[in-house]
Amino acid sequence: MWEALEATALAQHLRASTYSYPLVNALHIVGLALLLGGITPVDLRLLGLWRGIPLEPLIRTARRTAAFGLVLALAMGLLLFSVRASEYAMHPAFQIKLVLILAALANAAFGEHAHRRHEAGRLRVHAGLSLGLWLAVILAGRAIAYF
Amino acid sequence: MAIRRSILKMMVLFILVVGMAAPASAHHGWRWTADGNFELTGIIQRAELGNPHGILKVDADGEIWTVEVGQPWRHDRVGLKDETLSEGTEIIIVGHRSADPDEKVVKAERVTVGGRLYNLYPNRD
Repeated sequence: MWEALEATALAQHLRASTYSYPLVNALHIVGLALLLGGITPVDLRLLGLWRGIPLEPLIRTARRTAAFGLVLALAMGLLLFSVRASEYAMHPAFQIKLVLILAALANAAFGEHAHRRHEAGRLRVHAGLSLGLWLAVILAGRAIAYF
Repeated sequence: MAIRRSILKMMVLFILVVGMAAPASAHHGWRWTADGNFELTGIIQRAELGNPHGILKVDADGEIWTVEVGQPWRHDRVGLKDETLSEGTEIIIVGHRSADPDEKVVKAERVTVGGRLYNLYPNRD
């Protein structure tokens, strides 16, 4: 299955390319920057920073920024993965990263739920978890290249 | 205030962890390698070429070494073809080995295959 992904024309092109691979790599980071750039101010606001700033407009802009960043990061991440799919699939840091992404997404969904039901205490817990989980995703992602 | 302080602590910790992770890199730059050129001669056992970086497994007198070679553009520049680095081929590598003496890893600056020298890093001696 992973070999089939590696054998696709796109994966083969990326593996041998001079410019496409670094470009995809950079766009993956742009996606992460938008994702965390959207999420971090909201989480910090929910945790008690910048109380003077109204929450709703902040959430509305941040949600769209973060959603766009997430889609971009996932799409570019899949391309990067395809270049050495069987190697990455077996890499502990990559496996940990996937679990952390799923946990962070589930946490975001529970956070949205708490937000809709105006449960401020629970929402704060999800905000703290959100910061921690997404930072852990980045650390795990970098660890793929270093271990 | 307690929350603010703990957030600050978390951020400082994150920056420290990332900062410590960076110099341990085995793939970027040369800071992780030992000073002085290192030469290795052996037979290519396995070649994984292309992005994000090319890796050879080289058998040198029964010891298996990991040799980091270049990305596609670096090989293209000196006319080094993937087929040239096929299994069973004898290769001479000049480069820098890992600063950790227990690690059998060398990053190549120049390789010689079939009597032809490929200078991957012309600006390094």
